[in-house]
Amino acid sequence: MAGAIGASTDRFLERLKAQRLPLAVTSISLAEAGLSKTTLTGIIESQMTSRALDLQARRLGAEKRGFYSIGSSGHEANAACAHALRINDMAFLHYRSGAFYVERARKVPGETPIWNMALSFVASSEDPISGGRHKVLGSKPLFIPPQTSTIASHLPKAVGTAFSIALARTQKKDDATLPLDSVIYCSFGDASANHSTSQGAINAAAQFGYRGLPLPLIFACEDNGIGISVKTPQGWIAGSFANRPGLRYIFGDGRDVVDAHRAAREAEQCARGARKPAFLHMRTVRLMGHAGSDIESGYRDREEIEREANDDPLLHSVRRLSEETGVSLDDIERLYAGITDRVTRAMEAATERPKLTTAHEVAQPIIPPSQQRVARGSAMTAAAPNDDRAKSEPQHMSRLISLTLAEGMERNRNVVVFGEDVAKKGGVYGATTKLQPKFGPARVFDTILDEQTILGLGIGLAHNGYLPVPEIQFLAYVHNAEDQLRGEAASLSFFSNGQYTNPMVVRIAGLAYQKGFGGHFHNDNGVAAFRDIPGIILACPSSGKEAVMMLREALHLAHREQRVVVFLEPIALYGTKDLISEGDGAMSAIFNDINDDAPLGSVNIIGDGSDLAIITYGNGTYLSQRAAHQLKESGIKSRIIDLRWLTPLPMDEVIEAIGKRKNVLIVDECRKTGSPSEEIIAEFSDHKVNYNLARITGSDTFIPLGPAANSVLISEDDIIAAGKTLVGKKKSRAAK
Amino acid sequence: MKKSAVVIFPGRGTYGKEELGYLSQFSGANDALIAQVDEWRREHGRTPVFELDNAKAYSAKTHASSINASALIYACAQSDFAAIDRDKFDIVAACGNSLGWYLTLAATGGTTNGIRLVDTMGALMEEKANGGQLIYPFVDEDWRPSRTNEKAIGEALHNGKTEGQAFLSIRLGGMAVLAGNEAGMAAMEKSLPPVEGRYPFRLARHSAFHTPLLSHVSKAAFDTMPVDLFATPDIPIIDGRGKIWTPGATDPRALYQYTLGEQIYQTYDFSKSIEVAAKEFAPDCLILAGPGSTLGAPIAQELIAHKWQGLTSKAEFAARQKRDPFLIAMGRDDQRAQAVKQ
Repeated sequence: MAGAIGASTDRFLERLKAQRLPLAVTSISLAEAGLSKTTLTGIIESQMTSRALDLQARRLGAEKRGFYSIGSSGHEANAACAHALRINDMAFLHYRSGAFYVERARKVPGETPIWNMALSFVASSEDPISGGRHKVLGSKPLFIPPQTSTIASHLPKAVGTAFSIALARTQKKDDATLPLDSVIYCSFGDASANHSTSQGAINAAAQFGYRGLPLPLIFACEDNGIGISVKTPQGWIAGSFANRPGLRYIFGDGRDVVDAHRAAREAEQCARGARKPAFLHMRTVRLMGHAGSDIESGYRDREEIEREANDDPLLHSVRRLSEETGVSLDDIERLYAGITDRVTRAMEAATERPKLTTAHEVAQPIIPPSQQRVARGSAMTAAAPNDDRAKSEPQHMSRLISLTLAEGMERNRNVVVFGEDVAKKGGVYGATTKLQPKFGPARVFDTILDEQTILGLGIGLAHNGYLPVPEIQFLAYVHNAEDQLRGEAASLSFFSNGQYTNPMVVRIAGLAYQKGFGGHFHNDNGVAAFRDIPGIILACPSSGKEAVMMLREALHLAHREQRVVVFLEPIALYGTKDLISEGDGAMSAIFNDINDDAPLGSVNIIGDGSDLAIITYGNGTYLSQRAAHQLKESGIKSRIIDLRWLTPLPMDEVIEAIGKRKNVLIVDECRKTGSPSEEIIAEFSDHKVNYNLARITGSDTFIPLGPAANSVLISEDDIIAAGKTLVGKKKSRAAK
Repeated sequence: MKKSAVVIFPGRGTYGKEELGYLSQFSGANDALIAQVDEWRREHGRTPVFELDNAKAYSAKTHASSINASALIYACAQSDFAAIDRDKFDIVAACGNSLGWYLTLAATGGTTNGIRLVDTMGALMEEKANGGQLIYPFVDEDWRPSRTNEKAIGEALHNGKTEGQAFLSIRLGGMAVLAGNEAGMAAMEKSLPPVEGRYPFRLARHSAFHTPLLSHVSKAAFDTMPVDLFATPDIPIIDGRGKIWTPGATDPRALYQYTLGEQIYQTYDFSKSIEVAAKEFAPDCLILAGPGSTLGAPIAQELIAHKWQGLTSKAEFAARQKRDPFLIAMGRDDQRAQAVKQ
């Protein structure tokens, strides 16, 4: 049956029984590789355990009692990498890293890797890392944050975490999660090395190296020469990465566990000793197809499959074990049989363990557990500019944001601000003005122009106890890096059952109506990309004062509640000072006077008119206030309900704020399709509330340059017209 | 088909009045082993275990003393281990509690001279050990976790440390073994509310094993015993941290360092060793070597803590034992027959 998991025969055992061992592929000695006979044996036991787990997972899959079969067979050299590293060298592993996991666990007394892996193969809720949510390789005590079917999306955060170690060392940080001399290990396959995400991350790492900046990072490319059915050209990985400036290339033959260890040690010394990024290119083979459901014979000829099986790293390990320790092949067969029996019994026992049964159980860790972390204040640099005057005078939104960031950084020394142009320039719109002189280049720094790297740095920094506040210059720019939020940051708590979190506040300048910079890429008004991501909070302030209150709340949510918050700042309001008339200063605020809160789930209520409720946010709040002023002159009194939080929507508060008002107008500045208004109307239905309802939204188009932009965006006049129509309808109905 | 089994070796305090004559009754074909033990004992001026076992009456002063109890239990346990029916059981791993770690090493080839290791440690403890031990349950009477008791233990340790020295000596399934110097012990005894009519229960003739109070014993052990007393075990063994030592991957020097070092002065996590035995070896059964069977309760409590084989209470465990014992205690007349050759 297509797609079903099939059991695999143990071709390693067949060859071992027949004593068909391959010729040596390297001549390196144990001593040269830094191994002893007992350590070699231990590593090989981990390799055999991983293989037995693969085979048993496939057996259970074929029997429909197991649910995952992408295995590590042929890649067991990564056990040597685990051996070469310390337990607390954080490892971001790709899915063929079973042997790495088993070997690292073997070094920690009390760990139960066979049992843990067995639980994950059968999706038991007792699986200690994901709680039965996914087959992931992960462990809190083993410093392995979970990854799933990674297509290199974990590489940017590996760069970020390595950067965080270097940063913590510079700052002599005493509350970092990771030791100051630790290194980061990040593995992936040759096929996913082609992915733009990995190319971006490797480029970012190499640039650190090129600039002479420390980055204790090992990229381990496990090259089996094929990605599912598509072959990697011979020599492609070496050709691509062997001569990259700033990146040390090290090759290891992963068929020979001893050479693998030699290479891994070299990489470790490069990363830990020289604090330079290393590219560890490990030759491996892929056995038993891509996954249990993959029929390899459909795209590989029998001869090639046999050739790979004959080159099985475990057979090379057997030859090594026999030659180096003198143990007989019969004894090795007994050793493997014992391991297989152990694994088989554990897998059988694991099938009896409980599984998740309800949607509530499944979704429970999407919102991370609260942590009563204590924020420690920080000292400012000697040259810190004095903000006292700025705080006591009316300021527009962008300056108020920079003052709020400064306040957050003073209160919590783990807050770091970064992005393109945030340092000397003070941000593309000045929202990070004067932060670098105040807090220094270690806490406020520019990044390369790559949003994946910016978000990856954020995720990585958060893994090491920082509270990152990355800035993305324009909303449209985040889309090429969106998976760093969708696939990585938002999913970490879910896949680790709340054990790993990456709290941060991602500031994004966005939405339309700005006067200086036209066109779609600087005026994107689509937010749907954030709104369906489980766990993400999307905030959108509508004024300087609101921005201060909400940014404080966002920092609090990240710090205490460990949430990932996207803080969408309306560019058009950054410099807006007046609301109704020139010089009224109603959009400005004095920082020192802002003492109110804007908690998650609350709304900003403006006005008390009973004729009309206008539900809106961001620029819409500004436009609606102006429209309401004119509507009032027409005799229509309104209340504006500024949503503040677009995800999750504060619907209970909205409905309460509407109160007895029957006329409800939704003013949504986003494109119609996928706009928050869709959910608001659906929520009204779910809540079984009936209003005289209308909505106006942007058009389903990208935003053009110049005056034509106004034709696709909502305007004050649109709001006035819609308000009048709505209230008029009511009146006409009443007349009937 | 053989049943897979993990063998568990008992600790001190398992040879009591009821066990008098255990060796004579069950040693059977293991006379050679007993003879070897007693030859060592005589050479070192110590009462032979056969003589102790055949005493007319049990004397706590004699039988429960460190120098005698260790050797007696060693002889009984090794005898039991040898008596296990290998046609019926495939012994896939072994572990033990406290003294039981030495017995584990001895049974599996982890030491080249078991009686030397056991007797030397017994003598060192008799001569140099100090402080005492008490036990108190983590669990309620149905062997389910008790937050009240856990809290009381935490407070007792705090009070013990305030008044003197106090440590968690052994995690023993559902029981905490606490240890300290006299001031610490007195403070803990005062602090712990009496439960089940017998706890806190002070263990007579026990010292503050597995605590830093015995660091000097560790030094003396290293001075007295050479590294070549240790060897690679012939089956996997699980230590008092839950670490698995497999035959090929064991460096005897590391085994020496652990056994005479950390093992003596750090908490012995017997609970973890049982958890690892269950999860990593998933055996068909556990065999508890004699003498005695008092370790059965902590083992069962640990299995219940992990809902192993669906067990969630003392009553369920008892029912399972009656039906098809998962834990075979060789020190129990009603279960021994299941483990040995008929």
